Amino acid sequence: MIAFKETAEKNMNKKAGYYIYLLKKSPLTTAGLIIIGILVALAIFAPLIAPYPQDAAGITHVSEKLLPPGASHLFGTDELGRDMFSRVIYGTRISLGVGTLVVCLSLAIGVPLGLAAGYAGGIIDEVIMRITDIFLSFPPMLLAIVIATFLGRNLTNAMIAIAISWWPWYTRLIRSEAISLKQRPFIEAAKAMGTSRFKIMFRHILINSWSPIIVQASMDFGSVILTSAALSFLGLGAQPPQPEWGLMLNTSRNYFLTAPWYSVFPGIFMFITVLAFNFVGDGLREFMDPKLRRL
Amino acid sequence: MKKISVIIALLLTLAMIITGCGGGPNSGQNQNQGQKSSAAPTKNDVAVYGIHIEPMVFWDPSDSYSNEIIVLQNVYETLLRYDPANDKFIPVLAESYTKSSDGLTWTFKIRKGVKFHTGTELSAQVVKASIERTINRGKGAAFIWSPVKEIKTPDDSTVEFDLSYPAPLDIIASSSYGAYIFDAKTLDEKGEDWLKQGNDVGSGPYAIKQWKNGDSLLLAKFTDYWQGWNGKHVENVLFKVVPESSTARQMLESGQLDFVGYSLPVEDIEAMKNNPKLEIVDKPSFQNLIAFYNTKKAPLNNELVRKAINYAIPYDNIIQYVKGGYAVKSSGPIPKGMWGHRDDLAVYDYNLDKARELLKQAGYGNGGLKLLITVNSGDESERKVAELMKAELSKIGVDLEIQIMPWDAQWALAKSNDPKQRQDIFVMYWWPDVCDPYSWMKSLFYSEKEIVFNMSYFEDSEYDRLVDEAHTQAGIDRNKAAKIYGDAEKILVDKAAAAFLYDQKNVWAKSASLKGFADNPAYPGVVFFYDTYKE
Repeated sequence: MIAFKETAEKNMNKKAGYYIYLLKKSPLTTAGLIIIGILVALAIFAPLIAPYPQDAAGITHVSEKLLPPGASHLFGTDELGRDMFSRVIYGTRISLGVGTLVVCLSLAIGVPLGLAAGYAGGIIDEVIMRITDIFLSFPPMLLAIVIATFLGRNLTNAMIAIAISWWPWYTRLIRSEAISLKQRPFIEAAKAMGTSRFKIMFRHILINSWSPIIVQASMDFGSVILTSAALSFLGLGAQPPQPEWGLMLNTSRNYFLTAPWYSVFPGIFMFITVLAFNFVGDGLREFMDPKLRRL
Repeated sequence: MKKISVIIALLLTLAMIITGCGGGPNSGQNQNQGQKSSAAPTKNDVAVYGIHIEPMVFWDPSDSYSNEIIVLQNVYETLLRYDPANDKFIPVLAESYTKSSDGLTWTFKIRKGVKFHTGTELSAQVVKASIERTINRGKGAAFIWSPVKEIKTPDDSTVEFDLSYPAPLDIIASSSYGAYIFDAKTLDEKGEDWLKQGNDVGSGPYAIKQWKNGDSLLLAKFTDYWQGWNGKHVENVLFKVVPESSTARQMLESGQLDFVGYSLPVEDIEAMKNNPKLEIVDKPSFQNLIAFYNTKKAPLNNELVRKAINYAIPYDNIIQYVKGGYAVKSSGPIPKGMWGHRDDLAVYDYNLDKARELLKQAGYGNGGLKLLITVNSGDESERKVAELMKAELSKIGVDLEIQIMPWDAQWALAKSNDPKQRQDIFVMYWWPDVCDPYSWMKSLFYSEKEIVFNMSYFEDSEYDRLVDEAHTQAGIDRNKAAKIYGDAEKILVDKAAAAFLYDQKNVWAKSASLKGFADNPAYPGVVFFYDTYKE
C-alpha cells in the first residue's frame, strides 16, 4: 500500500516536472499563464487594489472629469470624474466572470448533447446535428445580437445569448470524439460487462475526450470576452454605470480627440486578456497533441 | 409562442442582411427637376451639412415629423416664417395677412409668380389643396390645423381660414412641421414612392437631386426660385451622415464639412473654439430635456416619492459638467425665450436632506426602492444625466437601473398596454412642432386615452381645462393666455409630474467660411442655405 502511494507520488512529481519542462519549451504559453494569473488576482482582490472602489459602482465626481493619467488617477478619469484605474480593474472581474460563466454554460448544454449524438447515433444523432447546423449557419455574433435584443438589455441576458450561440461547437467536437471512441475495445469491453449507457458516456467517453474540449474552451475564453464586450459596445450587454470594458470603449469614443487615454486602457486590458487566453489555448493544443509537440 | 417569435426574429435578421447589403436600389436619381451645377466649381458650389443619423424619415411633406426637417425646410416653404427672437412673422408664400377681431377669420394674400419644382404655379387653390391634404391624412403634425373649420378661396390669390375657435393661425402657418405648401395634385398623381426615389413637390430654393440611403442627400438650386439667384447664395447642399462625433469634428477641421447639425461633446467644443477656421455659434433654443415620472405605477404614483427624486437631482452639476454651461435650469416645461415662460415657478433644487425627509414621509425611509430609467441610445447628455441621477439617488437609498435603448424600443416600452410593465422614468427632449407653449402643454401632459407623448401618463382635469382655455385665448390675447399657461404649469410643478432638467442652448460648430447663418430656434437644426454663402 505504502509503496503504491509512493509510486503515485513519484508519478505526480514526474508529471509536474514534465509540465514544467513543457512550459520552459514554450515561453508564450508561460507568458499567457502568468498574465491570466495576474488578471485573476486583480479580479479577486479588486476591492483591495482599486483606489476608488465606489467609482466602479457608479459614484460620480463630475468636477474631476477627464483628468489625464497622473499620480492620483493612474489611468486618468472618465467623463463623469470616475477613476479609470478602479473601473478597469473591476472590469476584469466582469470580463473574466462572463468568460467563465459563458464557457461553462456552453459546455453544460453542448457536451451532453454531443455525447448523446455521438454515442447513440442514428436518428438522435441526425436530429441533434441538424439543430447544431441551424445554429452554426448564423455567425455567432449576429445570433447573439438577435437573442440579446429579444431577451432585453443587460449583462445576464447577453451571457445567455452568447452561450446559446456557442454551444454547438462543443457538441460537434465531443460528437466526433465519441464516435471514434465508441469503436475502441475498452468501450466494447465495458458494454460486454453490462455497464449502463449513461455510465459509458460520462465515465468512459467523456473522461477520455476532455483534452480537445479543454483546448477549445481555453481558446474560446478570449472570443467570449470579446463578444460580450462587443455586445456591451452595441448597448446590448452591460448597462451604465457597470465598468465593463466594451461599454467603456463605447463611451470613450466621444472623447477620443480630447481624452485619448480614456479609450486606451480598457482597450489594452481587453487586448492583453484575449491574447493571453489565445497563447494558453495554443500551448495546450500543442501539449495535448503529440503530433504538434515540437520537442 | 416563444419559439415562433425567435424564428421570426431570425427571419427578420436575414431580411435585414439582404436588404442592408443593397444600398443601391434605395438611392434615387432625380431625372426631371435637378438643376445641373455649373462645370467649374466655385466656393459657393456646395455646402456640406453633417448629421449623425439618416435625415430622411418621412418624405411626404404632409406627414413630415422628424429629422427630415433639416432638408425639407430648404425644399418646401410655408406661408410665413416665425422669428421668435423678435416675435415677428416673415412673409414667405403669403405676402400679407389679416385677422378678424374675434380671432376667428384669418385672410392670407398669396404671393404671385411662385413656381413649384414641378412647374405648377402657386395659387390660393394650391394652398387650400395642400393644407387640406395634410389635414385629411391626419399624420405627423396635422393636428396643428385642428382649429380650422373651413378654407375658402375667394379669388386666386386670397385664402380665408374660418376657425371653430380662436387660435394663433400665424404661428400655425409658420410651424416647422405640417405647414408646408406643396403641389398636392402632382404628389397624389405620382404617389409616395415617387418621392422616395428622390423627388419633391416643393417651391423652395433647392430641389432634391440625389439620395443615398444612410449616406448622403444632395440638393441642387432651383433656377426658377421666386426670390431669384442674384447675390451670393450657396448653390448645392450636401447632407452627409457622419455618425461619429469625433469624425465630424475632424471633417469640420479639415474643411470637409461646413456645418455640424448635432451637438458635439462640450469637450470638443471647448477645444474647437480656438481654431480660427471654425466658428462656434451658441444660441438659446426651444429644446429642453425632461425626465417623465410614471404617475400610474408604484412607487412613483406617490407624489411624495416624485418630489423626493426631484430634490435628489444635481441640476447645477448637470448644467455645468454635462452641458458645459450651454443650458439653463428649466422653470417648468415652457422653455426660456418662448412666450408664456415663467421664471417664478417654485421649482426644485438639489437638496438630499429634503429628499430623504420626503421618502421617509412616503414610507420608504429605509430605502429599498428600485426604479427603471430609460434613455435614448446615442445621446451622451441623456446618458450622463441618468448616471448622475443614479449616483445621487443611491445616496438616498434608491437603486436606479439605467437602460439605454434605441428610440423605437424606448417608446414602445413606454406605450406597453400594461402600465406596470412600463418604465418608471422616461428621459426625452422636446422641441416645438408649433412654436407655441401649447406644443409642450398639450403634447406632453394633457390626458391621453392612447399614449403618444404623455410619458408621465399624467391625468388632471383642471390642467386639461386650463390648457384648453389658454389655447383658445392665445388667438385673441396672448398675455392672458400666457397667464393661464402659467397656472397650468404650476400644477405640473406642484404635483411633480416630471423633472424639468434644463433648457438647452443650441451649440453649432461650423466652418468660418460659411457666412450668413442665423440660428432660428423655431426650426431646430435647420440651416436656411439660401441665406448663406461661402467665402
